[in-house]
Amino acid sequence: MQIKANTHLIEVFRTEAGAVYQCEASNNFILEFADRSTAFKPGNFIDFSKRLFAINLAEMLCSPAKHADLAIIMPPYCETCFLLTITEVISLQRILGGAKTILHLNSILRTSQLQFA
Amino acid sequence: MKDLLRLRTSLSEEIETLLNEQIKVEAYSSSLYLAMSSWCNRNGYDNSAGYLERQSGEEREHMLKLFRYINDLGGKAISPEVTNIPQEFDSFKGIFELALQQEIQVTSNFNRISDRCQKANDYVTLQFLQWFLKEQIEEEYVARRILELFDIIGEEGTGRWQIDKQIPKVSYGDEGGED
Repeated sequence: MQIKANTHLIEVFRTEAGAVYQCEASNNFILEFADRSTAFKPGNFIDFSKRLFAINLAEMLCSPAKHADLAIIMPPYCETCFLLTITEVISLQRILGGAKTILHLNSILRTSQLQFA
Repeated sequence: MKDLLRLRTSLSEEIETLLNEQIKVEAYSSSLYLAMSSWCNRNGYDNSAGYLERQSGEEREHMLKLFRYINDLGGKAISPEVTNIPQEFDSFKGIFELALQQEIQVTSNFNRISDRCQKANDYVTLQFLQWFLKEQIEEEYVARRILELFDIIGEEGTGRWQIDKQIPKVSYGDEGGED
């Protein structure tokens, strides 16, 4: 985990396509993807992640419908609308999946710290 | 690094999902009992109609108990969408067989959620679920006793009329067993 200089941002997870940061000042998560930054409250971040992982990739690939290869996610309380191609869905799933694993690991570590403090 | 997810809620994503699924099951039970009540009313079983309407209210209360718990712990309780409620039933007895099946499914769900809570070390939720597990003893007991009335009294002659009269009287005492 890398702490960006002069900010409260902590990098949670990064791939070549984007990254998730945690802002220690505002208690928000910030997603950096496709040259855009989007801030999420923790609950909305989980919500967004659930919607992203609920996308049926097989259906997107197989459906003959004209716009079947595009997925739209409109996160609540957010000005950004995500219009994603199949490749972008996979990239974003990798970022959020990785971020969730690190956040879960952080939870386990903090709980252990409290137990042995 | 702060644990932002834990700051939001003490419920893990898995337990929150399981509890929300149970909210849906309770809402389904409530609607199912209401449909059964309507069927009984249409077929002249007034006492059973009243009993099932009260049961429907109880199931809704169970749903709200789960709903409030999730929200109280900082989670996101979901108002469930309830569909595919049967409106017609094969017989008077069939209604109570279905009611017992529904209660057995609910008990099994609570056992499964409790098991997951234990595995996730979520003893707060496990403690909260104790009330439901205890409640299920009563729910299954009453459903079984009602079904037994069909064998004891018999459905012939004025049997169903007698059964309908007895149904609201079936209850579970504090010490276990019928009052």
